[in-house]
Amino acid sequence: MSQSNFLSFKERNSTLNGTYPFIKLIWVFLVAIGLFIFQTPISGGIMFLLVLTLALGAGKISPVEVFRSGIIVFGLGFLLMLFHFFINPGEVVWSLGFLTITDYGLVIGPVFFFRLSTIVLSSFVLIWTTDTRDLMTSMVKAGMPYRYAYTIFLALRFLPLIQKEVEAVQSAHSIRGRAAGSSFAHRFKLWQRYVFTILINGLRKAEVTADALECRGFGYSEKRTYVKDVHFKTADLILPVITVLILAGLIYMEQTSWKALLGL
Amino acid sequence: MNESAVFSAVFKDVSYSYHEEDGTVLKNLDFSLTKGSFNILVGPGGSGKSTLCNLFNGRTPHLMGGKLEGEVLIEGKSTADSEMKDLACRVGYVFQDPESMFATLSVEDEIAFGPENLLFEKQEILDSVEDLLDMTGIEEYRHNLVWNLSGGQIQKLGLASVLAMKPEIIILDEPTANLDPTATRQVHELILKLKSEGITILLVTRELDDFVSQADQILVLHKGELIGKGNPYDLLLEKGEEIDTLGVWLPETVEIGLGLMAAGYSLERMPITIKETMETLFSLGLIKEGESIKAPHKVYEQSSGAPLISGKDIRFSYGNGLYALKGISLDIHPGEMLAIVGRNGAGKSTTAKLLIGLNKCKEGSLDLFGKPSGKWKVPDLANHISLVFQNPEHQFLTDTVSDEIDYSLQSHGIFDKNKLAEEREKLLQMLELTEVKDDHPFSLSAGNKRRLGVATMLVGDPKVLIVDEPTYGQDREMTRTLMQIMCAIQERGVSIVMISHDMRLVEEYADRVAVFSEGLKHFDGVPTDLFKEPEILKTAYLQQTLLNQMLGCLKEKGINVEGHIPGTESFLKIILKNREAA
Repeated sequence: MSQSNFLSFKERNSTLNGTYPFIKLIWVFLVAIGLFIFQTPISGGIMFLLVLTLALGAGKISPVEVFRSGIIVFGLGFLLMLFHFFINPGEVVWSLGFLTITDYGLVIGPVFFFRLSTIVLSSFVLIWTTDTRDLMTSMVKAGMPYRYAYTIFLALRFLPLIQKEVEAVQSAHSIRGRAAGSSFAHRFKLWQRYVFTILINGLRKAEVTADALECRGFGYSEKRTYVKDVHFKTADLILPVITVLILAGLIYMEQTSWKALLGL
Repeated sequence: MNESAVFSAVFKDVSYSYHEEDGTVLKNLDFSLTKGSFNILVGPGGSGKSTLCNLFNGRTPHLMGGKLEGEVLIEGKSTADSEMKDLACRVGYVFQDPESMFATLSVEDEIAFGPENLLFEKQEILDSVEDLLDMTGIEEYRHNLVWNLSGGQIQKLGLASVLAMKPEIIILDEPTANLDPTATRQVHELILKLKSEGITILLVTRELDDFVSQADQILVLHKGELIGKGNPYDLLLEKGEEIDTLGVWLPETVEIGLGLMAAGYSLERMPITIKETMETLFSLGLIKEGESIKAPHKVYEQSSGAPLISGKDIRFSYGNGLYALKGISLDIHPGEMLAIVGRNGAGKSTTAKLLIGLNKCKEGSLDLFGKPSGKWKVPDLANHISLVFQNPEHQFLTDTVSDEIDYSLQSHGIFDKNKLAEEREKLLQMLELTEVKDDHPFSLSAGNKRRLGVATMLVGDPKVLIVDEPTYGQDREMTRTLMQIMCAIQERGVSIVMISHDMRLVEEYADRVAVFSEGLKHFDGVPTDLFKEPEILKTAYLQQTLLNQMLGCLKEKGINVEGHIPGTESFLKIILKNREAA
């Protein structure tokens, strides 16, 4: 029996599951654009909390799923924030030898943390609440050739398999012990090997999948039959419209108040 | 004669090489598949089976390139002149690992995917999905995600997805390679159903069982050459011995037939089914009603000391609300070979992970080498117990075979150059890996990967060695070699735990067998006693070996069968000795 795959689509009776897939994709892009415009951690933090609330409330995603799926990315975001504490110019607020933390670094670090975490979290919301097939259908309806739409989103189909593979490799490596060197060097070696093993097996799988798609008539014609259809409702627009309003509000607040408050 | 009216596929003097400068992979193949026939392609690993299959759907040469000589005709049309997308409508290919060919998320979407591409009408697809879900017996899983299916269900879905495209020929690439006996039987039943519907079938395998009697034709491939073709009875009579030496698993019934021929008996027809084998034995006068077949009883001498591992009432859940283990008690004693058997998902791998510390025992008690499991750290435990994973690639950490062994030696504190070289040589020789010591672990053959997996796990002299599915991806010779290595390790006092659903291996090698099903242990004892418990086998979705089934039938005919007969070799020895004595 295998462990649960946390980063995968599940049928849920949630508002986000019922939202038109292409609209959710647009929403992810809107969130990403907003996060790249934001210049203060206040707007980034508010947006992160809003996306998290949306995932838990309107998406009915459990906190465990959010945590298990996001831990690596949030960790990377945290490291990115620490990195920015030290590398940015500004007034030195703390120093130890050649390491200095600046006031600008303290402000800009969290901006990068929230940028990475919020964009990834919104992408996860899309994955958790959207059947790849429906997303593809909605993209084709929006005018994209189905070969391209399918190729892009076939990657999502493989996320759970990659997750399984990572777990299997981690388990196998953990019983091999540590040969030599520091704990950091050992961890680095393991990471190298995870990437190598997963890349090799990923390439093998990709080759088989590409062949299998050919054998199953993929690209037989410009057109395609769709057994399951997706239907757009006007109410689906609520998500992007409210998001645009919130983003606009946050950008306005940044420009008129928060930037000055943080001395930017 | 109009070939296309009679034959689904015709190969005319076909040779193929991947690159012109390379050697020929397939050599002068001449054969045909009659419409509606059931054909088996058999050969050891690396014989060219997959390359041959790729010629049917045009993947070779359209995608793979290379040099193709001769002609491959599908329904009368050359594949070289056909486009792959047109061949997709005629030839269905179920890949060895169907999970890799799935393109959607849910079971019913997967079945619809092919016909949707081929522009079938919506209603026709919907009807076809219903029919195929019903036919393959996966109706109740129609909304399941494809990665949550069991091995058998994945094979059935792969088959249903291909059938939905209404092909005239179906190629099944080793569909039962890693299935439990019940799932294997279900896939076989499905194949016969397809045959009865007039579909031409080519089943690729490296393992033959009594199901082979249902085939219309067997093709034997070795080093790219077709060394035999014909109906199973004639071919196995004529070429059985040669096929046996290739390392292909043969049914035990055929092994008995070949053994009789080797002993000087003349057979007119090779027995394949149990009934035929019994008829042969009776007609040759080797068995007579009222006689006895007596073998020494296998006595399991359990070590008198305390068990190395002792688990009591273990329950385990992955946190998804379902229990993978629901109260298992299991002891492992020094120097024994224990087989843990059960269908896919029975809890075998979960137990193995508990034993090596990757899963933590939270409910029930588990003592490992005299200490509660909770007090062990995984790296410390690795000095006492090792696991050879089903896919050895997951374990590899370096770029050469030698480095891989060095890594394990260093992780056990051996850093001295001379000592390192000495220990490495010892392991390379023991596992017969010296010739490939500078190769990359990922570039090794399946058999050598397994050996390297064992070599890395033997470092540090563990007290218990767990081997997950010894037959996975291996032909008979590879499996036998691996098991002989296991026996040699056992003789050094190491306990071997073999996780498997191959009952032939269990019967031949295991001292003790524990049967798992749905997270519970249903049996713990010697293999001979297990085969006397059909209800337990049924509950665990296992099956008796053909030999044991036959012994059961002999008992019903009034023959007194006693003792432990671990394989066909022992069986033949006993009956031939009986005859000599008579």
